[in-house]
Amino acid sequence: MRHANALAYEGLVAVDGSGLLRPALATSWDSDAAGRRWTFRLRHAVKLHDGSTLEPPQIAAVLRDVHGDWQISADGDALTIDPGREMSDLPWQLADSSNAMAIRQGANAAVGSGPFRIERVAAGLIVLRAHDDYWDSRPFLDAVEVRTGRSPADQLTDVETGRADIVSIQPTDVRRIEQRQLRIESSGSLELVALAFEPQLATAASQAIRRTLAAAIDRAAIARVVLQGRAEPANALLPEWVSGYAPFVFEGKAAPLSRSAVVALPATQRMLALRVTPSDPVAQAVAQRIAVNARDAGFVVNVQAPAGLGPRFDLRLLRLSFRAAGPPQALSDLMAGIAPRILTLLGRATRPDASASLEDVLLTERALLAADIIVPVVHVPELYAVGPRAQSWNEPAVLPSGAWNLANVWLNAP
Amino acid sequence: MSLRTRLFALVSGVVLLTVVLVTLTVSASARRSFATLDAQRTAALVEQFRREFANQGTLVAERVDRVAQSDAVSRIAASRDAAPYVNEATILAAAQGLDVLDLATADGTIVSSAEWPARFGYRSGWITTHVAAVPPAFLQAVELPDETTLALVAVRTLAGGAGNLYIAGGRRLDRKFLQSLVLAPGMRVLLYQNLQPEISSRQLIAGGDEPPEAAALEPLIARVVQSRQETKETIEWPDGPEAIDALPLTGRDGAVLGVLLVGSSGRELAALVSRIRWSGVAFGSLAIALGFVLAFVMSARVTRPVEQLAGAARAVADGDWDVHVDDVGTTGEIKVLADAFGTMTRQLVDHRDRLVQAERVAAWRELARRLAHELKNPLFPLRITIDNLRRAKSLSPAEFDEVFDESLTTLQTGLGNLNTVIGRFSDFARMPAPEFAQVSVNDIVEQSASLFRAQLTSPGHPPVTLTLDLDPSLGPVRGDGEQLRRVVQNLMLNAIDAMPQGGGLRIVTRRRDGVVRIDVADTGHGLGEEERRRLFTPYYTTKQHGTGLGLAIVQSVVADHAGKIWVDSDPGRGATFHIELPA
Repeated sequence: MRHANALAYEGLVAVDGSGLLRPALATSWDSDAAGRRWTFRLRHAVKLHDGSTLEPPQIAAVLRDVHGDWQISADGDALTIDPGREMSDLPWQLADSSNAMAIRQGANAAVGSGPFRIERVAAGLIVLRAHDDYWDSRPFLDAVEVRTGRSPADQLTDVETGRADIVSIQPTDVRRIEQRQLRIESSGSLELVALAFEPQLATAASQAIRRTLAAAIDRAAIARVVLQGRAEPANALLPEWVSGYAPFVFEGKAAPLSRSAVVALPATQRMLALRVTPSDPVAQAVAQRIAVNARDAGFVVNVQAPAGLGPRFDLRLLRLSFRAAGPPQALSDLMAGIAPRILTLLGRATRPDASASLEDVLLTERALLAADIIVPVVHVPELYAVGPRAQSWNEPAVLPSGAWNLANVWLNAP
Repeated sequence: MSLRTRLFALVSGVVLLTVVLVTLTVSASARRSFATLDAQRTAALVEQFRREFANQGTLVAERVDRVAQSDAVSRIAASRDAAPYVNEATILAAAQGLDVLDLATADGTIVSSAEWPARFGYRSGWITTHVAAVPPAFLQAVELPDETTLALVAVRTLAGGAGNLYIAGGRRLDRKFLQSLVLAPGMRVLLYQNLQPEISSRQLIAGGDEPPEAAALEPLIARVVQSRQETKETIEWPDGPEAIDALPLTGRDGAVLGVLLVGSSGRELAALVSRIRWSGVAFGSLAIALGFVLAFVMSARVTRPVEQLAGAARAVADGDWDVHVDDVGTTGEIKVLADAFGTMTRQLVDHRDRLVQAERVAAWRELARRLAHELKNPLFPLRITIDNLRRAKSLSPAEFDEVFDESLTTLQTGLGNLNTVIGRFSDFARMPAPEFAQVSVNDIVEQSASLFRAQLTSPGHPPVTLTLDLDPSLGPVRGDGEQLRRVVQNLMLNAIDAMPQGGGLRIVTRRRDGVVRIDVADTGHGLGEEERRRLFTPYYTTKQHGTGLGLAIVQSVVADHAGKIWVDSDPGRGATFHIELPA
């Protein structure tokens, strides 16, 4: 639904196929030297789905609803935003779907200005209709049907048999899709696969065990082989393309334990139970590889995937999704997927504010990783298999932010 | 033990012995047959396993050949980047029905593994090991994520652009494999995977669902691993023996990687033997019942006449001479014996009747003699008196009167004597029935003694010493006190009469074995054999003036009290009368 909304409701700026900001409802923007006051030039004569014209006060009102502490004013085609503090990545935040223009007029449903309007929403089905008056020319497609709730296997079958033109896939399906001569498109890394130790192994005395296990993981092999080259080894919580800073997490840490030292550990510390979600083949494949790496280091890791309540476990494999809406938001999204008791153990129970500085993000991330209780493994993008009929103009059908770029997609005649 | 019991025991024993012999013979025969059958089917199963093992080896080799010849493997061999093919072994193994499939580079680095997909990038030592004269397939220990298992594998090599690619595939020797073997009832197959340094029952796999009882098998497994030779042994389980044939399973380097245990349970044999035994018990019981019936029937035909004869003999011994055993319902010797017995009893009865008649005549003669004797004595003075009176008619009246008065006196005296004699006979004839009560014998003896003591100590009387030896624990007896007193006094009187020159009279009472005994002993002239025999016969007496009824009355009273009386005596040594009365 998030991706469908993004097609109907635009923001002032968007992320293009190169992962850079591009104009959307704003044609340009700049700020003062301190990055505290931003001015956006608004696009003229943008038509909403109901045929009315999007006016700058409407944009200001939407943003005020989302950010009550911001000073927002519209003056002609200029929209001035003063967040009250330095916010150098404000345009990146505005690219997030939470800042999209969903204009409510009375009791009617919100209307947007995107290339498609939402025509119908039913159980497992969303129908999008082309917005004929879209400011960036009408989409090639007349309508798009989005089906949700389909199993990964059914989706693969759908795209292989032509019943669907674009389906989301898992990295473990890449080989099969390639063998079918289908195109794969991916976002930037929008998911972190990480290990999280449970409290019984999150003590200071167990840090050597955690550090040794973290160092034993062959992240490159997992990214290249298990996830078929569609992932990146993760040495930090946020991928570099989101955070902008280089990995740092293993700098200055003590050396891991030798295999003989691990083998000499008591069985309760050496034999670990790794919990994964039973219906997640990607998590299971990664967990099995981690078990092999751990065995090489002297551990015995038993991968558990119980359907219900399982036996006690020592660590869990997490798949943490985040939005490409700037480092604070991305880190906040990540932390939302970590159990509060773990965050409490780490002393970082509060997620960063969307307006937090990059330094704050860096410090928070460093704190989260310092004790090796959270161990990053790989960053994984959103992957889509694209059927042979679907073609796109200039940009890929899926943007680095994960947004569907369906306005530029057309279908070849069968 | 009665004849019937002996017959029953004999017949039952013979039948039981026969049944036991038959049971043992059948059991032994069944054991031999089972042993032969067991050896045959064990050998057949071992041979079947060997065939199945060889067939599986051929099958595995063929399938690995097909994998090696597949396009996918060719592409992997030609590719320098194996990452895209990490799951290829899983797909190929599934297509060829292999449990194990590893694709490895020339240095043994696993490119793709079906049984352990996450193990790519690690080296496998055995895949690239060169061994001369490798069979099409061989036994190999294969590592899995959670365990190490045995598999029948084949290895092929494919040359490619990036060097040789090794394809090692096979099938696990697991429960499924064991279940593919066709087993006869009572047989089972176990597989021991010798993959640990020490013999461990956890490495034992059973073809069935039941967990194998492994502890008892460990010594056998250890011997086979050490000797590398097929070994047979019988294991005794709680529910019966099991013959186990243990075969070593070796890898391509000759090491014993597993032990196949083919078990043939003796439980069926034990069950059969048990059934035979129980049948024997059932037939034995039936035979005993039949023996009982047979013994009963035989006794009816054989022992009943004998028992009838024995009963008749006991009746005769008890005095019933009228018993007859004429109808014994049999023939032969028993019939002759019964007839002889009948003849004997009839003759005895005849003799007894004749004897009774003779005794009755003798008694009447004796009675007539005694009566004549008793009457003759009083009659003689009467006849003399009457003669005197007849002669006195010639005397003077005064003399006649004097004679007449004397004669009347004499006649009165004579008639009185006659009346006395007649009264005694009348008393004996009218002996009253005893009136029973609890009486003390000691008191009766003491009262009688005191009665006679004055007489014995009177001047002029021969000196007789009276001695009483009375048992103070005698207790009362059921009897007529007056009659018993008469008995004691009569015996004491007889004893005193037997000692005209004096002597000793000793009365002893004792209680013994449920009877009260009274002994009255004197030191008189004693009794001869004839006297003792006739002593209690009425009207028999050895005394000058006795009526011969005293001891007869004594015997009558004792008999009325259900007691008995007898006398011990020798001439010149006194006599002792013994009386026994029920206590």
